Amino acid sequence: MSAASLELREQIVGLLPRLRRFARTLARNPHDADDIVQIAIERALARSDQLRPDAPVASWLFGIVRNAWIDESRARGRQSKIFAPEEFGANVAAWGADEDMLAVQDAVSRLPDEQRVAVGLVLVEGLSYKEAAEIMDVPIGTLTSRLARGREALQAMLTDTSGAVP
Amino acid sequence: MTLSDETLMAYVDGELDATTRAEVEAAMLRNPELAQRVARQKALRGRVRLAFQRVVDEPVPERLLAAARADRRDNNVVPLRRKPQRSWSWREWSAMAASLVLGIIGSQIAMHFSDSTTMLASRGGTVTAQGVLSRALSGQLAADQTAKAPVQIGVSFRSRAGDYCRTFSLRDSSELAGMACRQGEDWRVQVLARGETVTNGAYRQAGSALPKAVWQAVEETISGDPLDAQGEAEAKGKGWRR
Repeated sequence: MSAASLELREQIVGLLPRLRRFARTLARNPHDADDIVQIAIERALARSDQLRPDAPVASWLFGIVRNAWIDESRARGRQSKIFAPEEFGANVAAWGADEDMLAVQDAVSRLPDEQRVAVGLVLVEGLSYKEAAEIMDVPIGTLTSRLARGREALQAMLTDTSGAVP
Repeated sequence: MTLSDETLMAYVDGELDATTRAEVEAAMLRNPELAQRVARQKALRGRVRLAFQRVVDEPVPERLLAAARADRRDNNVVPLRRKPQRSWSWREWSAMAASLVLGIIGSQIAMHFSDSTTMLASRGGTVTAQGVLSRALSGQLAADQTAKAPVQIGVSFRSRAGDYCRTFSLRDSSELAGMACRQGEDWRVQVLARGETVTNGAYRQAGSALPKAVWQAVEETISGDPLDAQGEAEAKGKGWRR
C-alpha cells in the first residue's frame, strides 16, 4: 500500500472549497455534503496509488466525490426528502433577499441524479464536456444530453417560481 | 441555418470551435429570437453558478482539513483515525424517522411554529434568532432558568472562532432544538433539529438532552470546555461579545 504523499494532501486541501461546492450541488443539506466530502477524502487517500501521474487531481477527486455520494444515497435510501416541494415553494416567496439562490438550489436538488451531476460539473464547476464525461465515465453525447435535459428541467422549474413573484 | 439547442448550449458552455462559434454569433445578429434563446441559456448558467458560489467562500470545516492531513507523521494512510463525532454521522441520525436538520434552509421551519413564527428570520443565507428566542439567548442563564420558560438554554461555550454559542430547545409543540452563535448583534442559528434527544456524557448540565444533530454541531464548533455557571454569567455580563 502506498502512502498518500504530502503533495497530494495539500492539493486536496487546496481543492476542498470546490469539492464542498460540488458536494453541495449533489446533497443539499450542508452537513450531508461535508460528510460526503470527508468520505471522499478518506477514499482518495486510501487509493492514492490509483491516481495516474498525468491525470488531473481535480477530476479524479470530483469523480470520487460523485461516487461517494451515489454510494451514500443508496445506503440511506431517500429519507432526505423531508419537505414536500409545494411547502418549500410556498415559503420561498416570503424570503426576499436570497429567494433566487434558494429557489435555484431547490430546483437543482429536484433534478434526477445524473442530470444533477452533469449540471454540477459543467454549470457550477465550469468543467469542460470532456472532463465531465470522463468523471461520469460516459461518452460525451450522454453527458450533453443529460445536461440538456437538466437545463430544460431547471428552466421550467425556475420559470414557474419567478412567475409567481410580481 | 437552423441551430439546435445542443449547439446553443455548447456555445454558452464555451465548447464550440472558432468557426462554429462565429457562425452562431453571426446568426444571433440576424435573428433576435435566437439571441434571446442564447441569453436565456447564459442567464441560467449564471444563476446556477451564483446559487452555489457562496460555498467556496465559507471556511472549510476543521474536520475536513484534518481528514486530508490525517496521520501525516506516521505516514499511515489506512485506517484513518476517526474522531468520535463520526459516529454521529447523518447515516445514523437520518435513519431516525423523526429527525430533521436544517442548515441553510432553516427558515422554512418557521411554518411549524404555531404562534411563534417570529422566533427566526432568514436573511442573506443566514438564520437569526428573533423575539422570545433571541431574548432568551441573550438574557437567560442555564443556572437559574425555570422549567416553564418557553426557551430552555442548554450549554454555552466559545467557538473555535471565539464567538459565544449556546444550545437551546423550545418548549412548544415544535419540539425543536438548536445551536446559535453570537455574531455582532445577532444570534445566528447554526443548526435546528428535532427528533430523539440524547444526553452527552461530556456535558453534564441542565438542558443537555438534545437531538444528535445539535450535539454534532456543538462538537464541530466548540473550543475547549463549555462555560460553567460563572463563565456563563460573565459572558452575559459583557453582552456575549468576544
